[in-house]
Amino acid sequence: MISKFVGVFTTDRDMVIQVWDATLTRLTGIHSDDASEQPLLKVIPDLEARGLTRYFRHVLEDGVVEVLAPAFHRYLIPCPPLTPSPRFDKMRQHVIIAPLHQDSQIEGLIVTIEDVTQRLESEYDFAGKLDQQPSGMPNLMGALDDRNWRVRRDAIREMSQLAAPDAIAALLLSVRDNHRNFGLLNSALNVLRLTEIDTHSTLIDFLKGPDHDLRIQAALSLGEQWDARAIPALLEATRDENVNVVYHSIEALGKLRAVEAVDRLIELAESKDFFLAFPAIEALGAIGHSGVSFRIIPFLQDEMLREPAARALSRIGDEFAVEALIALLNDRNAATELIARSLMDLYERYEAKYQEGSYIVGLYRNSIKPTGVQNLIDALATAEPDNMRPLVWLLGRMDSPAATRALTWRLGSAELRSEILDALVRHGSTVTELLVEQLKADDPETRGAAVTALGRIRDNRAIPELTRLLERDPELTIPIIAALTFIRDPAAMDPLFSLLGTSDAAVRRAAVSALNALGVPEMVKRVVPLLEDSNPGIREAAVCIAGYFGYPECIETVFSLCRDPDANVRRAAIEQIAYLEDKRAATVLAEALSGDVPAVRAAAAASMSHLEASSVTTRLIAALKDEDSWVRYFTVRSLAKHRSPESAPELYRLAQYDRFQQVRIVAFEALCRIDGGLAASIAIMFRASGDPDLQQAATSVPLPGNGAS
Amino acid sequence: MSLHSEILGLPKGTERLLADLVHSRTGIYFDASKIDLLMDKLSPLVVRRGFNTFLDYYYLLKYDETAPAEWGNVMNAISVGETYFWREFDQIRALTQSIVPAWLAAHPGRTLRIWSAACASGEEPLTIALALHEADWFDRASIEIRGSDGSSVAIEKAIAGVYRERSFRSLSLERRARYFLQDGPKTWRILPELQSKVRFSVANLMNESEIAPLADADIIFCRNVFIYFSESSISRTVRLFARHMPAEGYLFVGTAESLLRLTSEFELKDIDNAFIYEKGPRVQ
Repeated sequence: MISKFVGVFTTDRDMVIQVWDATLTRLTGIHSDDASEQPLLKVIPDLEARGLTRYFRHVLEDGVVEVLAPAFHRYLIPCPPLTPSPRFDKMRQHVIIAPLHQDSQIEGLIVTIEDVTQRLESEYDFAGKLDQQPSGMPNLMGALDDRNWRVRRDAIREMSQLAAPDAIAALLLSVRDNHRNFGLLNSALNVLRLTEIDTHSTLIDFLKGPDHDLRIQAALSLGEQWDARAIPALLEATRDENVNVVYHSIEALGKLRAVEAVDRLIELAESKDFFLAFPAIEALGAIGHSGVSFRIIPFLQDEMLREPAARALSRIGDEFAVEALIALLNDRNAATELIARSLMDLYERYEAKYQEGSYIVGLYRNSIKPTGVQNLIDALATAEPDNMRPLVWLLGRMDSPAATRALTWRLGSAELRSEILDALVRHGSTVTELLVEQLKADDPETRGAAVTALGRIRDNRAIPELTRLLERDPELTIPIIAALTFIRDPAAMDPLFSLLGTSDAAVRRAAVSALNALGVPEMVKRVVPLLEDSNPGIREAAVCIAGYFGYPECIETVFSLCRDPDANVRRAAIEQIAYLEDKRAATVLAEALSGDVPAVRAAAAASMSHLEASSVTTRLIAALKDEDSWVRYFTVRSLAKHRSPESAPELYRLAQYDRFQQVRIVAFEALCRIDGGLAASIAIMFRASGDPDLQQAATSVPLPGNGAS
Repeated sequence: MSLHSEILGLPKGTERLLADLVHSRTGIYFDASKIDLLMDKLSPLVVRRGFNTFLDYYYLLKYDETAPAEWGNVMNAISVGETYFWREFDQIRALTQSIVPAWLAAHPGRTLRIWSAACASGEEPLTIALALHEADWFDRASIEIRGSDGSSVAIEKAIAGVYRERSFRSLSLERRARYFLQDGPKTWRILPELQSKVRFSVANLMNESEIAPLADADIIFCRNVFIYFSESSISRTVRLFARHMPAEGYLFVGTAESLLRLTSEFELKDIDNAFIYEKGPRVQ
């Protein structure tokens, strides 16, 4: 029987009504034409005044389900009962407000309104009769307030089952009549299940009923309900006279992973019915029983069923499936992209489930023939971007030079680059020449990827061509230096030294890092004269190398460069002398900290963190009053490292009042290491500041106990 | 770890903080899979400013008095300059064949303003100019084309008007010969009379004060930008467009950039087989 008592409406995210079903029109007297496309607040004007809007917003924002109980909220839409009631002048409504999902997004609301006026009447009557019973049976309404959850559960179940068939039928018809997304029905069925309404037996009744539309919707819903009790009925429905019912029953059996349906599904696949064989094989894949794999393999030979069979085998196939798929790949007319994807998926499943992906790779490498490799190469040249990854994956596991050459064609593709680089690097120096060729490619992305791959392969045969590219391709300078660093061959020393004179500080630093990584003993002879080069960039770089290695023959010059006319050279020298373990360092740094330009003062403050605290603390505390924010910033960090308790009052002042937030934050972090009490009071201030960085600092740093540590 | 930060000796640890700041200021979102790419682009800037950590550079961008100039360097480093002439031309065909004639008929005597909001090195607004030129619209109506980008380097290239082969991958050789002069072995220069149809300037889409003078255009092209933006940045940008555009206007976005879930101010229309968003009195 179709319910006259449960209406459904849906809204979009802005609470504008989209669907207003016929039942709701009967219940409320509001016609669909007057409600559809109207804001909910217009259709129910007193919604806000009754404080109900917040329930709708809560569902939209948080994706929860809200239930408006008739005992408490009485009704959502004010209207008289369909049947006049002696107790109620307005219809009593049980209302469920649920999110309407499309994919993972909340697209709107689905609201079910059930007229429960008569039910409440009956319950009141029933309760009245119970009250007159001498045995003192618990009354139904009272049971809802019982302290025992079992009593409450039984009461809800008894009440809700009164409405289940009507509500579900109304929803099923609403989906059908309004051509709505199926997500609407499932959202609603899930809501009904949450309120413990038994949807299962009602859906089974519909699956066996006379209305084929309802049978279809019921099959669809049963597939979504994760309830194995539906399997026998769905199996029976695969023999339904209506082919659409059969189709959806097959899908539902797949979703329910019904192993007991395997024989019937194979039978349907073997029927080669164009409409049913496809979903039958898909369902076999979804059921996921590995023993079915050998029964699916024969379908690979059928051109019509090859695609679902390959997809199913990727989900459940074993080594026999791999061999069957590769046999197809070795065919001159192979459906290469399809088979490649199946093999890759199968590998990923083995790797994820058993950590045995290498077994699948071994089978593949042993069985693939030249025709198969050529098929993959041909497909790589023409495939759509979405289909390329499996081809790259398979070609990357071949030793064939033709396969690796094909991979280098696609180095410029941003989506595939990582995969191709991994594949090429696995081949090691055997692909060096191929990659060197790609250094001349027109596409800068391809050249850049080839540089990266050559660096990772670490073959010194690439050095001459990488060096030549340094002159031709300035945008690739840093990646080339990185590659030369990884290769770590003295042959790179000359080109790296030649980069020290560049005006770009980043390139100079990269070249210095690469030379430091080389660590060739004879470098010292090259570095000594460079410390006095006329180019300040070269002097700066040479200081960094000399300081890094602590060359004894360079120490005097490094100290003298602390007074170089060029500020960048001075800064580099200042940064290095702290590592030289020379007693003069503290004095030189103190002079720089008090009298040089801001960048050098900041470097001096930072360098002091590497010296003995006793030799620098007083100077650092004085520098906390420096006019430059970065000098104060690096000074604070050095004091934090030294944990100097005498700096606490000044750090406390900076944390409170410094004009620059970064200084306040590092001052607070320093206090956390030095004086927990002061830090705690700053933390309270930061938390209340409204500034996200200050608040983050206050919550991310652990506070020690009071007093210096 | 980012290759560049490794070679430049910059320690890990504050990448997400910096990426979130870049997102909030530029709209460009770098998820976990792309964060190394961002660090590759920013590492040289960190070193050039004399810093040894990303955190120092974060504070510079956030609080230092020189931050506005430094943001220009960031924009230059992270801008995606990959574009070319005649890209997704179906939309521009709809512009010249349907939208421009209809608009001019409805607004006789008025100047039609077209803005290419993230034009990189200028290929898009120049394609619009070429298409309007081929349809003879410049002789028949007053049309103003503006192109802007957040990257000053890209805009310098646009103003120079010199392009390499990759910019011509979709343009016929015949059109290249007609509208460009060979400038070097592999470079071509746009004809000055066509380049003069477009005015270029630097503007960051996340900065309303920079965008407002441009966004009063009747037609806005903002294509292949939103694919790099987060949803919140897209929504904010589209709202900003809607606020400054005239009551009726058109917004062109890339094929892969649906705004359906993100805007109620524009309505998707199929105009001459091209998908275009329309702002109008009927759209709420």
